[in-house]
Amino acid sequence: MHFHQLIGRCFVGALFLILSAWSPANTSSGELFGSATKSAIDVEPLEYFHKTHPAMGTEFSIDIYAHNQSEADRAINLAFDEVDRLEDLLSNYRPSSELSRISREASNEPVTTDPETFRFLQRAFYWSARSEGAFDITVGPLLRAWGFFFQGGRIPSGSELVSLRSKVGWQKVILDSQARTVSFSHHQSMELDPGSIGKGFAIDQVVTMLHGLGVTSAFLSAGGSTLYAIGAPPGTTGWPVNIPDPIHPGRIASRILLKDSSLSTGACTEKFFIKDGHRYCHIFDPKSLRPVEGVLQTSVIDPSATDSDALSTVVFVLDPTLSRRVIESTPGRKALVFRRPQTHQSCLNMNWPGDPCGQA
Amino acid sequence: MIDRRHFLQGLSATAIAADSLIGLGADADTPGLTQAEAEVAKQILPSKDSSPLHIGIIGPGSRGKELVRNFLRVPGIKIVAASDVYAPRFQELNDLCGYPVAALSDFRELCDRKDLDAIVVATPLGLHADHVLAALASGHAVYGEKTMAYTVDQARQIVSAVEAGKRLYQVGHQYRYSPWIRAAIARVQAGEIGTVTHIEGYWHRNNDWRRPVPDPSLERLINWRLYHQWSLGLLAELGSHHIDIANWVFGSTPITALASGSICRYHDGRETDDNVQAVLGYSDGRRFIFNSVTDNAKMGDQLWLYGNKGSLNLTLEDATFFYEPHQIERAKPSAHGEEKGVTTSASYRSSGEMPYRGPGRPVNVTTAEDPTTAATRAFIYCVRTSSRPIADVHVGLGSALAVVQSNQARLQKREIEVPPPSM
Ligand SMILES: NC(=O)c1ccc[n+]([C@@H]2O[C@H](COP(=O)([O-])OP(=O)(O)OC[C@H]3O[C@@H](n4cnc5c(N)ncnc54)[C@H](O)[C@@H]3O)[C@@H](O)[C@H]2O)c1
Repeated sequence: MHFHQLIGRCFVGALFLILSAWSPANTSSGELFGSATKSAIDVEPLEYFHKTHPAMGTEFSIDIYAHNQSEADRAINLAFDEVDRLEDLLSNYRPSSELSRISREASNEPVTTDPETFRFLQRAFYWSARSEGAFDITVGPLLRAWGFFFQGGRIPSGSELVSLRSKVGWQKVILDSQARTVSFSHHQSMELDPGSIGKGFAIDQVVTMLHGLGVTSAFLSAGGSTLYAIGAPPGTTGWPVNIPDPIHPGRIASRILLKDSSLSTGACTEKFFIKDGHRYCHIFDPKSLRPVEGVLQTSVIDPSATDSDALSTVVFVLDPTLSRRVIESTPGRKALVFRRPQTHQSCLNMNWPGDPCGQA
Repeated sequence: MIDRRHFLQGLSATAIAADSLIGLGADADTPGLTQAEAEVAKQILPSKDSSPLHIGIIGPGSRGKELVRNFLRVPGIKIVAASDVYAPRFQELNDLCGYPVAALSDFRELCDRKDLDAIVVATPLGLHADHVLAALASGHAVYGEKTMAYTVDQARQIVSAVEAGKRLYQVGHQYRYSPWIRAAIARVQAGEIGTVTHIEGYWHRNNDWRRPVPDPSLERLINWRLYHQWSLGLLAELGSHHIDIANWVFGSTPITALASGSICRYHDGRETDDNVQAVLGYSDGRRFIFNSVTDNAKMGDQLWLYGNKGSLNLTLEDATFFYEPHQIERAKPSAHGEEKGVTTSASYRSSGEMPYRGPGRPVNVTTAEDPTTAATRAFIYCVRTSSRPIADVHVGLGSALAVVQSNQARLQKREIEVPPPSM
């Protein structure tokens, strides 16, 4: 574990890593933290700690202010244990996970599951309903058909896609909250893929746990795509997060001070394949059974990391009007969407603070 | 192939007991192994019965809550009451269950309840016997966490209480229910790696083995693993699972124990060693060797079974076979009736020293579910059908005997005897 005395520069440096595709030279944020050292007047001054941990196919990290190394160690170790526990619960790569057991057995008969897993599935299917099916954790067979798992990308035939319709679709998953069971209608074999909401769910559980330990200032990241800020660094008003501008690489579109809230980003910059000069994205439109076209990046702020994680996909898939409806219906929820310039209005601001689209 | 004596030795006592329970009898020619596997398969099958069943828990701490989470995956289960001496557990349990669970400060009150079908005991080791014996005495079926008891005497009392009272008891050795471990050991029992003479296991951590303590007065309650009063240290907490598997594979309990340990890394007031080593002696000179450290978790949990024809590697996730080079065989004349010339080469093969390089042959199972999920479901099956658990009281006794006596050997710094299971 690295640790730094509370010096603004060091910790800003660490945060620069959060969203990757830009260079620190573009901002000068050191002055934001000028007052931080002065306000740390506890008996034992707060020190800054940072640790990373591989999980859920990505790297989790925690930045935390604690009174000493052992306090930080405890909190961070418990937090990462919790992430590992949730990966054991929800991974679709591990046959021993509860989610895999459900995927395996729910076509035979209703599978009783524990309240936590059930709550996770309820929230995932809540977002399917709210987004008219744009968000759907049953799209696994599509990703497979398009070669996202092993083949490095392929374009399936129309008839192949149509044949997958029976294996995909959130409405085929039946949740019975009285019995706490999950079943797939018509004994259909299906797959549940936590990828678009599981990291957010894990972050929320860790946040609850850290609150329980009395942590007042910490920053959690699941691979940079789902972030949560507990409180703020001492003497500041929030944890700084920069949203890169995907249309003008190297530029920062928006700078947020995040506090007791989460921010999730969806983008096609990491999982995609290019064929005949065309970029195919790993985020699918369940209606067309095809990768979403024309969207570069979405960011969503919401008090719940589970929700912001799911919503970053919802606004990726849904058209702008429907997206706006979902986002603007709830106070505290904000979204910033970048689309490929030629197709639509390229920057869409939904309650986002400042004027992120102004310079775009 | 192995002869019948060895074959039966290789069976766990429970597997044989299970045979008679399901009425298949002791037909000398029936392959008992298959029967045992059939019984396990039956117990861990997805449950179709969702009739309501009420469970109480003593000690819903970290393991207790994990057990509850797993019990709630079985249709019809409701957690209705809990007993703990640390009040925050009750709220944690309510949050986990999603409904209020009756909170009792005294475990005797829980045992006295008439609305329970089973009691789960997940308290610190030193308290197991008190809680398990009370739960059995009140007529309840019990799922008791490992290690079964803190002393040999207590372990025997639990066996007597189960047998005299015809009670149902399952011990928390959930790897007995792990699909890949069962499949792999069944193949070992059938002779796939020859005669197993040595088993080597290590289970490591890379942390101080402490839990956060909200108030210094709670240190011994929360970090009970570090103090003699309730804990037998790493031998019990991690070693007991491996010892159970060694007992299972060897088909018996050990007869001698030799052990050592020290506090090497964490000089923080703890009493139990932060690293331990044990050598358990079984009949015919067979050995199980265990090691556990807490400041390096490389390949954290590994179990190796060594037979004269090959080896089996067992982990928390998978099982892999490796095979010894074939023994010398009588050469057959070539098909053409004439020998071809041999081409010389200067290459050196290191395979004599490095026979295990390479991926090995993994054991494939279709239902690689979490062993605790399977074990808890099997327990409920036994409660509903009055069947005998796979991980029954004798399984519990076998590993408890070895753990307790290894710890004695560690304290006395000499080899000591492990008493036989039945006296
Ligand atoms: N099978 C496994 O793989 C496995 C894994 C972990 C732990 N365990 C076993 O589970 C047991 C508990 O371990 P843990 O890690 O959950 O410990 P823990 O300290 O988290 O939980 C023990 C609980 O018992 C409570 N308790 C203590 N005294 C009590 C009393 N007199 N009456 C009622 N409750 C009391 C404690 O307050 C605590 O809530 C141990 O025996 C351990 O070996 C088994």
